[in-house]
Amino acid sequence: MAAAPERMPLHHRMLASVGEPVIHVADTVKGIMRTFALTLHYTLRGRKRWDAIFEQLHEIGNRSVIFIAFTLGFLGMILIYQAGYQAMKITGDLQLLGGLFLQLLLRVFAPTITAMMLATRVGSGMAAQIGSMVVTEQVDALRMCAAQPVDYLVVPRFLASIVMSVVLTIFAVLVSYLAGAMVANTAFGVNFYTFFDMSFVGWFDVNICLTKALVFGATIPVIACQAGLIVTGGSEGVGQATTTAVVNCSLAVVILDFVISGLGYVVLNLL
Amino acid sequence: MASIEFQGIYKSFGNKHVLRGVDLAVEPGEVFFIIGQSGAGKSVLVKHLIGLIRPDQGRIFLDGVDVTDLSEKELYPVRKRCAMVFQNSTLFDSMSLLDNVALPIRKHKDVNKKEAREQALEKLKLVGMGEYKDRFPSDFGDGMRKKVAIARALTLDPEYVIFDEPTTGIDPISAAMVDKLIRHLADHHGVTSIVISHDLRSIFGIADRIAMLYQGKLLLDGTQDDFKNSDNPIIQQFITGNPEGPMEV
Repeated sequence: MAAAPERMPLHHRMLASVGEPVIHVADTVKGIMRTFALTLHYTLRGRKRWDAIFEQLHEIGNRSVIFIAFTLGFLGMILIYQAGYQAMKITGDLQLLGGLFLQLLLRVFAPTITAMMLATRVGSGMAAQIGSMVVTEQVDALRMCAAQPVDYLVVPRFLASIVMSVVLTIFAVLVSYLAGAMVANTAFGVNFYTFFDMSFVGWFDVNICLTKALVFGATIPVIACQAGLIVTGGSEGVGQATTTAVVNCSLAVVILDFVISGLGYVVLNLL
Repeated sequence: MASIEFQGIYKSFGNKHVLRGVDLAVEPGEVFFIIGQSGAGKSVLVKHLIGLIRPDQGRIFLDGVDVTDLSEKELYPVRKRCAMVFQNSTLFDSMSLLDNVALPIRKHKDVNKKEAREQALEKLKLVGMGEYKDRFPSDFGDGMRKKVAIARALTLDPEYVIFDEPTTGIDPISAAMVDKLIRHLADHHGVTSIVISHDLRSIFGIADRIAMLYQGKLLLDGTQDDFKNSDNPIIQQFITGNPEGPMEV
């Protein structure tokens, strides 16, 4: 079997090398869309398992607070230091620093970096947990009990992730902004009253921020759980699923960030 | 008429051809053992019956009804009639033993939680685990978890039970108890059992009929005596456990 590709003509092999990843991507997207459709179906029509939802709220939310606080806090400090340093060199005027930073945080950094962190911490965990259940036949056992794996495993994570993604993003904005304010004050002497300038921020920025948080929160568990549900081949397969989950979630966050930003400028600006 | 029939089942995973045209029939009320080397496709074959795996080619019949192409929802009644005890105990770690056993009752029979728990407790008592009903699977070893998995499989009073290596990894006393239970289900309740096993003591202790798979095909389907008296060197090597012989490892 292994020798078969060697006998293929060169142009066949070239076509295969292009076609194989295309088919792989198409299959992955198809699987994710199917899982998403089933998740929506059971979210709307299935019985809510509140104990499982609260467990996931704790797992996704409470256990990510420190991680998000550190990541976004340091990011805020770095960004303000870099921006302040450049502004000092070019114009010497730092009074717009806080206002523009808040706008940037709301539009891009807070929802996107929070989602990336959730993809890393939570997405990999979901894929590993569900992948392990697949290889130990627990998912088959669920199906034998007339319980749909998507209903039982994905829906609680989906609902909890949407809620906690929004909560953590708001938390991330606050932490990052406060950390930035402290650096602006200590490194460049910008007073807090000048830094906490809300004049650049409008409903557009808030809407974009919350929309992104909500969409990312819905996307991460679907992609991660899908990676877990299709695991084959034991512990090696579980390892691959966690990698796949983080890579696919990160890619989806970046692509959706671009799409929502683009649509936001077009749609929300028209309203 | 056989109650379970596999006709010309082929199944591959990528380049690996696991089943290459298996024909098998299981009669009502018998204890039917499927034996063979690890990786011979025994578990893969039986999972076709309950729709956990779909064949590449071939048909599966349950009481004369073709179940090969049923949808997930159409398979629910089939899974209610055919329970499975998996190779791993497959208990859900987040649920107590009682809730594990009550889950299929709640889902299949759509009864309330209290009623499901009462029925589940009876089954737990049947396997001697009633007193541990509120404990969690992680508190127990493989043998006790397997007993609970058997209780869960029996909750819906199935007509058919598939046991995937039920005595693997458990002590000889518990293994003998499992064998006795399988025989009891067949003799007193008319339950048809398909048992996947390597355990020669079980095979030659309780089997009505035995089928051996080798390299994705059926090598022999017969009684205990047919196997003991077979002059096929592969069968003899398997039942004597001889490391030297024609069987490819």
